[in-house]
Amino acid sequence: MSFDVPDDLSYLESHEWTTTDDPVRIGITDFAQDELGDVVFVELPAVGDTIEAGSAFGVVESIKAVSDLYAPISGEVTGINEDLFDQPELVNDDPFGDGWMLELEPSDQSEFDELLPAEEYRDQIA
Amino acid sequence: MTQTDGSPFAPHTAAETAAMLDAVGVDTETDLFDIPDAVAFDGEFGIESRSEQAIRGELRRLFARNDNLIEFMGRGHYSHYVPSIVDHLSDRAEFLTSYTQYQPEITQGFLQALFEYQSMLVELTGLPVANCSMYDAATALAEAALLADRVRQTSGHRIFVPEHLREGKRLVLENYVDGAGLVVESYPMDDGNVDHEALAELTDEETAMIYAENPTVRGTIEEGLSEVGEIADDNEALFCLGSDLVALSLLEKPATVGADVVVGEADVLGLPTSYGMGLGIFATRESFLRQVPGRLVGVSEDADDRRAYTLTLQTREQHIRKERATSNICTNQAWVALRAAMHIAALGPDGLVDLATDCVRNAAALAKQVDEIEGYQAPVHDRHHFREFVVHTDQPAAAITADVEAEGYAIHAIDDHLLQVCLTETNAHATDGLVDAFQEAA
Amino acid sequence: MIYDQARYTEGDTHEPLLSEKDATTVAVGETDSPLPEELTRDELILPGLSEPELARHYTRLSQMNWSMDSGPYPLGSCTMKYNPKFTEDVAADRNAAIHPDRSADSAQGNLGLLYGLQEYLATIGGMDAVTLQPPAGAAGEFTGILVAKAYHDHHRNDRSEVIIPASAHGTNFATAAMAGYDVVELPSDEGGRVDLEALKAAVSEETAALMLTNPNTVGLFERDIVEIAETVHDAGGLLYYDGANLNALLGRGRPGDMGFDIMHYNVHKTFATPHGGGGPGAGPVGVVDELAAFLPSPRVRETENGDYERFKPDRSIGKIHGFAGNWLVLAKAYAYIARLGDEGLSDASAKAVLNANYLAERLEMDVPYGPFHHEFAATAGDRDAADVAKRMLDFGVHPPTTKWPEMVPEAMLTEPTEIESKRTLDTLAEAFNNAYSDTDDAIETAPSRTTASRIDQVSAARNPRLSWQSLDE
Repeated sequence: MSFDVPDDLSYLESHEWTTTDDPVRIGITDFAQDELGDVVFVELPAVGDTIEAGSAFGVVESIKAVSDLYAPISGEVTGINEDLFDQPELVNDDPFGDGWMLELEPSDQSEFDELLPAEEYRDQIA
Repeated sequence: MTQTDGSPFAPHTAAETAAMLDAVGVDTETDLFDIPDAVAFDGEFGIESRSEQAIRGELRRLFARNDNLIEFMGRGHYSHYVPSIVDHLSDRAEFLTSYTQYQPEITQGFLQALFEYQSMLVELTGLPVANCSMYDAATALAEAALLADRVRQTSGHRIFVPEHLREGKRLVLENYVDGAGLVVESYPMDDGNVDHEALAELTDEETAMIYAENPTVRGTIEEGLSEVGEIADDNEALFCLGSDLVALSLLEKPATVGADVVVGEADVLGLPTSYGMGLGIFATRESFLRQVPGRLVGVSEDADDRRAYTLTLQTREQHIRKERATSNICTNQAWVALRAAMHIAALGPDGLVDLATDCVRNAAALAKQVDEIEGYQAPVHDRHHFREFVVHTDQPAAAITADVEAEGYAIHAIDDHLLQVCLTETNAHATDGLVDAFQEAA
Repeated sequence: MIYDQARYTEGDTHEPLLSEKDATTVAVGETDSPLPEELTRDELILPGLSEPELARHYTRLSQMNWSMDSGPYPLGSCTMKYNPKFTEDVAADRNAAIHPDRSADSAQGNLGLLYGLQEYLATIGGMDAVTLQPPAGAAGEFTGILVAKAYHDHHRNDRSEVIIPASAHGTNFATAAMAGYDVVELPSDEGGRVDLEALKAAVSEETAALMLTNPNTVGLFERDIVEIAETVHDAGGLLYYDGANLNALLGRGRPGDMGFDIMHYNVHKTFATPHGGGGPGAGPVGVVDELAAFLPSPRVRETENGDYERFKPDRSIGKIHGFAGNWLVLAKAYAYIARLGDEGLSDASAKAVLNANYLAERLEMDVPYGPFHHEFAATAGDRDAADVAKRMLDFGVHPPTTKWPEMVPEAMLTEPTEIESKRTLDTLAEAFNNAYSDTDDAIETAPSRTTASRIDQVSAARNPRLSWQSLDE
């Protein structure tokens, strides 16, 4: 089974992706949504919260599993995808598009160097 | 019974056992055990097996050693008349011997009954989310405190409880909240009810939850509960209200007074006096849904588009969330909840409200009767009462209690000169006798 | 065997809800109320049905519900065994229906039963002192861990960790967290047992306890239990026994003899009290002498003249239940133990282990770990265990526990218990095998012969509707 892994994103081993603009957008990968099964609930922080790279910023739930969501980089939350409250299935249907979760204003640009580029993440899930 | 030895409920004949051992390829059952000799047990427990008939006789004689007293007792465990139909329906083996509904397609009956129970609690409390049981009122209170600690809207570590809170409830609460670093503190009562001024002064932004009961453990009916709700709000604390199924049908609706969580005794209906076995209520707001402990039954559809019931939001629970579960609760009091629901259905709203109204009226009448006896003042608190009330005695309460017990009545002694008496339809026939006994004992 | 479950269908529902049969509104606190209006609610809306209507409603619901008395219920870890009917009559004794605040003098009967059960359980488990207060297994675990905590506090030992095998029941993890401990997860070795080297690396002066069940959750006996106990004790920790699998050991092995310091019993499992659709159960806790002082209060003891009295253990942790636990359940457990006695209890474990081994022998599925005892984890291989389970429902049996423990992929954790006959086990095996080898379509669309067909779990979780009131919204 081959999973979508867009080249223009950066990744965490724990299956989160992030864009590299400012503010960044963050979500979970196609592989992750497939592992979870039908997403029933997403718990996100509030706009204005500060997040630390590597720490859990929220939770994603399916029928059979609960997973922490880990922040790829540190920063201040500038936006959350409120559509996910009524339509958590967006995470399954369009994990890199409408299923986005968080927008963050990065506080430390050097953290981007720690992330996995697309080919490395592709290798990991192969 | 075909067997004469071994477990009377294991149906194996010698021939069957032999065939099975043969199929597995061993000579005896012992060969199947992989227990090292160092820890094998080859002793005896010294427990003699008796027949069903013998055990029934034995335990009948044992229980007959209990004194045959007419109880006027409450304080968290109550006796109401349970209609026969509740026994006959809940004892049906399909209910009694079933298990947790992990396969909902085959257990729609119990799921629907629990869904109905949840719904009755929603109506009684006014809060939209009710789980299908907690062990008892004390552990439900404890879980409410843990919920208060988990929800985003509150902070702080102080849990406030009434100074008169039954000690058992407080001890359970202390055990549960210890791991979360919460602290249990009392607020004073004013003539049996919440002392609003004192409570307001004590609470601060370190308060996570305020707990009040209606009726209180002394039977007094609260006035000004909305004020407690406001005090909680002012300090961003949760307002947890404790009550029972009968009281809820008459007294102020918890949602109306601002309660965020309702706990309490649901075993007042469906269970007769049972040496303290209980059923805990747990109901709360929609916004706390994912922090609710215990099982929740929800509605969905099956593959044929028919309405179907199922346990839902199980990701809150221990089997999925493990150490991040909302609670470790697994087996709960489901069958007791079934009985409570049946009892509520048997009473209907009219019957339930009448029962509750009698609890007020009859308590007042008995208190008046007791007050007329020399040496007794009742009720101690100048409040309305539900089922029970406190009596002040000129003589030491312990002595009176003993004398009254010798006459065949059981009551509570709650302090050197304070008694408590609880009245329901199950002991109403004996009030004159109790009054006489009081007179004798004075 | 073909099975057809009852189904009362009206339109797109099965039996209508009580509220759909009647909804009566009562105006509360109006005329003749003994309370002023501001102290009462305004109205109450609940179903008001006649007794015959209620009898039909609940009888029909019961017919749409599988139970132990319906057929096999081989749920691994749950020990679903027959609930002897006479225990119901024992518990219903009117003389036992007393208030827990009764004076000890006036409650000698109930206190006598509690004392007797304390003694029975202590003997069976090899423990010195037992509390009957915890109202369920998980509550027993919590009690046991609190006792461990009190013990360490008493010895001024600041310990922060509880070690738990990865294959353990979820309640173990939740319990440790509730008590404020950090959990250290222990992997199993290739054979499926505790990895002794990993354990030695995991214990430290932070270790408060190791929680184990034995046999473990795939039915294997921890052969190294003596060394495991030594390892934990040498580090100053306590060894906790989760009693879920005690049915495999009755009369053959006692946790107390294996080095366990604390244990809980699941009386609704091992001692056959009815599961009641999810409870009530009871989770008594036994401890060795050294820990007896910490047990919850009150316990019961015998006085010099043969009476019974309540007492508070010297360093009691307080209470874990508002009163004395699930009294009715405890009475039933006592009666069951009395019925079985030494011989019956040993025979129960012998037949439980024989039945599990025989059933596994008949199954086409592989069982990766052995030698197992009273339960085994078969694997559905490249089929989905949950789907196979749904198809088994159509063959008139309740399926086993699925997808747990994780160490077995597509696990079907199966525990037939001693009460099943050879004939039933053959039928059960047939149901397993037929479902396992059925077509993809058949198992994915199953069940079809039960009251409800496959239920949509996802929409139930996405859009939770938890009351009949929510149906109107």
